[in-house]
Amino acid sequence: MRTCKRYLRLYRVLITQFIKTIMQSKVDFLMGLFGFFFTQIMGIAFLYLVFEQIPSLKGWTLDQLIFIYGFAQIPRGIDHLFTDNVWLVAWRLVLNGDFDRYMLRPMNIFFQVIAEKLQPDALGELLVGTILVVRSLSKGIVITDPLHGILFFVSIFAGALIYTSIKLFFASFAFWIKVSGPFLQLAYETADFAKYPTEIYAKGIRFLITWVIPFAFVAYLPASFFLKSEASGVVIGIECAIAVVFWCIAYAVFNKGTHVYESAGN
Amino acid sequence: MGKRLRIYLPFAANELKRKMAYKGAFYLFIVISLFKSFISYYLWMAVYGSSNQAVIGGLSQSEMIVYVFMVYVTSSVMIPISDAISDDVVKGTVAMNLIKPIDYRLSLISRAVGSMIYNFLAPSVFIWIGVEIYKVTVLGLAPVTVERIILYLISCIMSFLIYVLFDFCFGMIAFFTTYILGLMMVQEALLGFLTGQLIPISFFPQAVQTLFEFLPFSSMIYTPVMIYLGKYSGEMLAFVLARQAVWIVILYVLGSMIWKRVTRRLVVLGG
Repeated sequence: MRTCKRYLRLYRVLITQFIKTIMQSKVDFLMGLFGFFFTQIMGIAFLYLVFEQIPSLKGWTLDQLIFIYGFAQIPRGIDHLFTDNVWLVAWRLVLNGDFDRYMLRPMNIFFQVIAEKLQPDALGELLVGTILVVRSLSKGIVITDPLHGILFFVSIFAGALIYTSIKLFFASFAFWIKVSGPFLQLAYETADFAKYPTEIYAKGIRFLITWVIPFAFVAYLPASFFLKSEASGVVIGIECAIAVVFWCIAYAVFNKGTHVYESAGN
Repeated sequence: MGKRLRIYLPFAANELKRKMAYKGAFYLFIVISLFKSFISYYLWMAVYGSSNQAVIGGLSQSEMIVYVFMVYVTSSVMIPISDAISDDVVKGTVAMNLIKPIDYRLSLISRAVGSMIYNFLAPSVFIWIGVEIYKVTVLGLAPVTVERIILYLISCIMSFLIYVLFDFCFGMIAFFTTYILGLMMVQEALLGFLTGQLIPISFFPQAVQTLFEFLPFSSMIYTPVMIYLGKYSGEMLAFVLARQAVWIVILYVLGSMIWKRVTRRLVVLGG
């Protein structure tokens, strides 16, 4: 309990420092936010244009696809907001030896990595996600009983954890190969596949994004549970199980990595 | 001309060598960029499967497959240079470029030529050949003619020039703000639409199409790919090629004008 309190206090202190640096350049902050927001809006515009030509895509309507798209942005945005610094581990912190400073402080190393930075650009994703989900709610296409309501938040949390785990897992390779950025990028970008119903893909791809790099469990699969009354809640259960298993693996690899970490130069 | 080539060729050669040095990462990035093509391939397959028309937006399903992958091949000529400008401005190294007896824009473009050649040779040509083989054997379409390949390549070279000249103008923003990452994302997202990269311009409502065709962006990707598909002939073909040439001139002049203004007010600290 006391360690928990201590970490909460530390997090507040570290993040306050970070927010001060952001406040120095408000324009940058707004432009980053706008950039992400705009990119997402374009994704929606694309769907609109496609649906000008067809009534439904493999049985999915435009409104349903927009919900899936928006729903997928929320866990992605949460992970992006809180753990963006993991990218730097993959690209440079290990390579140039900056990781030393985490090793020297009497704090949990992973905590230090993520407490150093908030990524305000992620607010763009969260904003779009929320708007689209609210839009779907107002259209009445989403099931809104209490069970679905609770599972909605459970699913978002589990989804964010899956994102973080995949990121941490691939970033941890850097401890052995110095730079793992390209691998991380490769894994991260497969998330794009899960923006659309997985039925449209060939079997191999479907298997990959469902079980190997399970982004389908972050976006499409849970989203369809909230859209279709006949869908079973088991899918959220599997999502949570995957989140826990992947987190344990990723964290173990990260821990192992910090033990083999060697600093660079002087 | 010969002297110029001697000065600027090393920029291109160096960039080519630099790219070769990071081969591993480079091939991973090819896979990543192919992801997008495959996602749109599967999406379009599903769209054509759900539609009761054989031709959507002026393209048949087979033509759409060729379109999606030729967009990938063509976009290898879109080499960004604004990130290099932003880097130079933030670090102040742009001052060094001002005192050297070389043209800053030309040196950036030469470096982009190096990148383009590498991109084109490493993945694009093979994907192009793959597209042709798939097109002839699986889709049962006639192979592309030599004449059309030549026209396509000419159009691609003009696309390259339009893009780098445009991106140079865009990069000038770096002189006014230090963080252009957000704007780069906006640019990328916008270009996805305006160039026809995400979706053929023929899918837009007529009024929007006319506007997009008027802008320089459709000349970057849409024009060469449609030439490759054989959608233009005779006068129309001459017109789209001439339009590309006109944009090169306009963007070149515009870039020179902005560069002159910007360097007049530039302040570099230290050095």
